[in-house]
Amino acid sequence: MPREMMLSGCAASAQAAKMAQVEVICSYPIRPYTAIMMELAKMVANGELDAEFVHGEGEHAQLSVVLGAAAAGARALTGSSGVGVTYAFETYSPIAGGRIPLQMMIADRALDPPGDFGSEHTDAMSCRDQGWLMGWAENPQEAFDNCLINYRVGEDHRVLLPQFVCQDGYFVSHMPGKVVLPDQGQVDEFLPPYNLPHPLDPKRPVSHGPQIRPDQGTIMDLQRAQAMLDAPAVIREVIDDFNRIFGRNYSPFVEEYMTDDAEMAFFIMGAHTMTARHAVRHLRSQGVKIGLVKLRFVRPWPTQEVAEALSKFKAVGVVETSTSYGGAMRGGNLLHEVRASLYELPQRPLTTSFMAGLGGEMVPLKEFYYMADILSKAVKEGKTRKTVYWVGFEAEE
Amino acid sequence: MASKVHQITVWARGVVQDKEGRDIANGVASAAGRAGKFTQAFDNYVDLPDRVNVPLRKYARISDEEIEERYEYENATPEIVIVADATIVKGINILRGMEKGGTLVVATDRKPEEILKFIPNKDLLGTIVCVDAKAICGDQTVDFSGSEGGVDSLGIGQGISAPILGALARGTDLVTLDSLDAVVKNKEALHKGHEQAVVKALN
Repeated sequence: MPREMMLSGCAASAQAAKMAQVEVICSYPIRPYTAIMMELAKMVANGELDAEFVHGEGEHAQLSVVLGAAAAGARALTGSSGVGVTYAFETYSPIAGGRIPLQMMIADRALDPPGDFGSEHTDAMSCRDQGWLMGWAENPQEAFDNCLINYRVGEDHRVLLPQFVCQDGYFVSHMPGKVVLPDQGQVDEFLPPYNLPHPLDPKRPVSHGPQIRPDQGTIMDLQRAQAMLDAPAVIREVIDDFNRIFGRNYSPFVEEYMTDDAEMAFFIMGAHTMTARHAVRHLRSQGVKIGLVKLRFVRPWPTQEVAEALSKFKAVGVVETSTSYGGAMRGGNLLHEVRASLYELPQRPLTTSFMAGLGGEMVPLKEFYYMADILSKAVKEGKTRKTVYWVGFEAEE
Repeated sequence: MASKVHQITVWARGVVQDKEGRDIANGVASAAGRAGKFTQAFDNYVDLPDRVNVPLRKYARISDEEIEERYEYENATPEIVIVADATIVKGINILRGMEKGGTLVVATDRKPEEILKFIPNKDLLGTIVCVDAKAICGDQTVDFSGSEGGVDSLGIGQGISAPILGALARGTDLVTLDSLDAVVKNKEALHKGHEQAVVKALN
């Protein structure tokens, strides 16, 4: 029987990895993701999980260990946070280019300087273009579910890509929430055993990651790009299966909340979606026509779904929890992609972005009310005044 | 708007009281949760990783409705403050943010009047509860399984946290001894703490 528990995002992620029967785990400590490895180490020590648990000497080593393990045919898991994520940056392209579908769990932490434990999506978002699947969990339940969903999508032979499975540090990683743990039988039905089509095997020698000539480069990049293009169809299939087997109701790419007859919407991902939902509910009760669209996958970016979901609004406020210093939108990363998604539409909504929750600052209800107010003004005036608002640091409107 | 969120802040010493402090916060939240309330319990994120004997905060929140701003790092306006090591009272403004009429629970062998001498803003208090928790059960379990979002593997309230939770139930209606009974392991110490607590109403 599935059982309900109160678990932090870290503990839920470790439970998911256990039920996915990961075979090789490589750890290196950094807050806030550490408890994922703490929990897995306990499971291995107690004999609940039959996995090889290797402690790396740093994040670069972590990724190298799981690359070797997954290339040799083992389902492999690693993880990190903040500067740990960026320290391993060199390894991300070889893993994706080698089409090794290992998983890295990221509990976000702001990058230095200065040292800050707080959550900010910039650590993972800085790695978004390497050919890894990537998406955020809103709560511990989604952290659990996304582990299984991503292994299944990434290991599918039509995809074969590694996965960044992300959750906000502290807000999700440390804050306990209700998690329904399924039966092992359900997980086994959903997730077939790891089966790499080209494993390292002395009996059947293959080369992984050789040097190539420059003229061989483009075709390899094209294949990696094609895998990302092929992933959405697989994601749709996998989400259907997941919903059927586990009794959930996920949309594959974007999830809408109170968007019926809404004139404006927040576009958001990760932990702060929960507070945004409460804000939307309260604003609705005051007659403000606002809704919310939550993004589940950043890679592959669901261009079509984002365009369809957002086209019905007059104004959209993109809540950014990462930075793109000097970028076209002068703020975060998501508005670039949102505007690109909307470009082909004959009738585009007004869009602006809100820098909020950086450095791990919480985004309280009153900040969402402030954002809603700016969107209302944009609807009224038929234009946005700016492409980016640094919430809490703007002159009074 | 959502109903009031009752904030409970626990002060304890780093490492040596990390688990017992966490047990107090988890015990309050679990007991109230069993009584049908919406709850949260968590370590103060920026106090961790802790160091031996540094003051630490653990938090619990209780509400009749869903808690909407779950991500607040700290309890800005605690209505109950629990101090697991009485020496903390002397150096730290433990009542910071408290509205008038709050409750203070202190683990100490001293009387309420003596403790109040060390609290310059004692006029904020409506009730003080003192319990000689060490005399009832002086054990301070050291275990890190439940820290940093991990799953506690030993259960709530084997040591000093049990009598402190018992004393708390004397000083507030937010949790009852019955509901604590269902979640605290050392029930004898829980009940002794409840019986032996010295409660003093102020103002």
